[in-house]
Amino acid sequence: MAAPMELSCWGGDWGLPSLHPESLTVMAYAKFSGAPLTVNIINNSWRTPKGDLPVLVSEDTVISQPAKILNFLRKQKYNADYDLSAKQGADTLAYIALLEEKLLPALLHTFWIEAENYCSVTKPWFASRIAFPLRLYLPGKMSREALNRILLTKGGPPLYSLTEVEAQIYRDAKECLNLLSKRLGTSQFFFGDTPTTLDAFVFGFLAPIYKVCFPRVQLQEHLKQLPNLCRFCDDILTCYFRFTVSGHSPAGQDTADANLQKLTQLVNKESNLIEKMDDNLRKSPQHPPRKLTTLKLAAGGEESGPMSRLSP
Amino acid sequence: ATEPWPENAALYQQLKEEQILLSDNASSLAVQAFLQMCNLPIRVICRANAEYMSPSGKVPFIHVGNQVVSELGPIVQFVKAKGHSLSDGLDEVQKAEMKAYMELVNNMLLTAELYLQWCDDVTVEEITHPRYGSPYPWPLNRILSYQKQWEVRRKMKAIGWAGKTLEQVLEDVDQCCHALSQRLGTQPYFFNKQPTELDALVFGHLFTILTTQLITDELSEKVKNYSNLTAFCRRIEQQYFEGHEKDCSTVAARSSKRSLLR
Repeated sequence: MAAPMELSCWGGDWGLPSLHPESLTVMAYAKFSGAPLTVNIINNSWRTPKGDLPVLVSEDTVISQPAKILNFLRKQKYNADYDLSAKQGADTLAYIALLEEKLLPALLHTFWIEAENYCSVTKPWFASRIAFPLRLYLPGKMSREALNRILLTKGGPPLYSLTEVEAQIYRDAKECLNLLSKRLGTSQFFFGDTPTTLDAFVFGFLAPIYKVCFPRVQLQEHLKQLPNLCRFCDDILTCYFRFTVSGHSPAGQDTADANLQKLTQLVNKESNLIEKMDDNLRKSPQHPPRKLTTLKLAAGGEESGPMSRLSP
Repeated sequence: ATEPWPENAALYQQLKEEQILLSDNASSLAVQAFLQMCNLPIRVICRANAEYMSPSGKVPFIHVGNQVVSELGPIVQFVKAKGHSLSDGLDEVQKAEMKAYMELVNNMLLTAELYLQWCDDVTVEEITHPRYGSPYPWPLNRILSYQKQWEVRRKMKAIGWAGKTLEQVLEDVDQCCHALSQRLGTQPYFFNKQPTELDALVFGHLFTILTTQLITDELSEKVKNYSNLTAFCRRIEQQYFEGHEKDCSTVAARSSKRSLLR
């Protein structure tokens, strides 16, 4: 159909194909719309043309932001929003704006600014995937950018210190999660039974909060109190990302091994049972004479067989 | 306990004729529309240093009794604490939708207005700089406007809008108006019969865009493409602002004219 498309993005862990919310959004949308993307896990965002990930390369065009990438995919006829009414399309834009304004600051804070989280999880993870010597510089730069963004958009007066700003952004994020939960209700996806752009964006933002194991987890705990959102993330992971999940995460590999073990045990049991049945049959009084003659015939047949084959 | 709304409640904004800019005018109009919809009388007072008087640095702000509250979000909550609310009749899902659409307007329309007036060089030179510092003598007027411009440009860079061209910004405005137009459809207000704070916010921004003269008419043309949005603005203007005069109007005159219309 279209030229081969390659997506470069950060890698994943803890059961996710990627840790980066925007990369995750694009990957999810590609799965929903059936676009054939080859995912290229890169570890150096300086190689990309504009310095930020994710980046889609298709023939000569290079596109960098998630909204633009999704637009490009739609123009290539990979449209997950085909069945949406105009009003639902408008709702999609509105909810994406809500996510970016209310949830993204807290997400950035949890990953990049909260000191314990940053030092014990985020920085080592990213540093281990970036080549020396960039690994000494790039995580720090990403952290500074995140802090800058939060302070400039949320940190004006009357909030004068970082702790007050933190309190405000976590309050906003929890309210946003509550609103999303109410909107989702009991349905499987936000607009019925098929996933759309909004589901991709919500998944991209929620999955890192849900799955990554941080020491300071107030947002994750709040999310776990909203079971329909947790179910939403798990559903998408199991339905659309099953193969990547089992390939990457150690937990998935263990379950595969365990399954294999169980299977071999079952096969062994069955073969033991069959042997036992055979023995019982041989020992039972009715059959021995017939059994012996058949064995002799078989033995005779077998002896003659190879000899006849060997002779030229 | 709900305290009564005092008679001398005041809304402060910058000078209407010479100083106020597109984005501040939009925010101020949104608050005025909201208070009108709640039937709460308010005087509009224009001061050159309104931005510095405000507790959060943003206009407009209202002075009610002995409390000062700025920006539409906190004002809505403040008014709700006093016992007046426009969105009580909405269910939970509708409230979530309303909040989402308000964020959309703030995210796209307000940011586009800020971009246009502070990051587009032609507009900055010819409109923004002269207007922003007009009440002050030279060199203070230039210093203040350069300071504000630097601040806004930093914010644009942090959220990723600095790399956008004017065409892309106008396209975003178009997308936002398209979404609003689709959501409004043929209804009188966004949530059918009753106006809510979302209607006030949308009215504030769209009406200002439609009636403010800039270097080019491209921004207002984008809004004019959607006839139901222009009809929406006209309807709210007729219903809530007919008695509103150019200068700061008195409460009594406005309320009597309003009763004539209804």
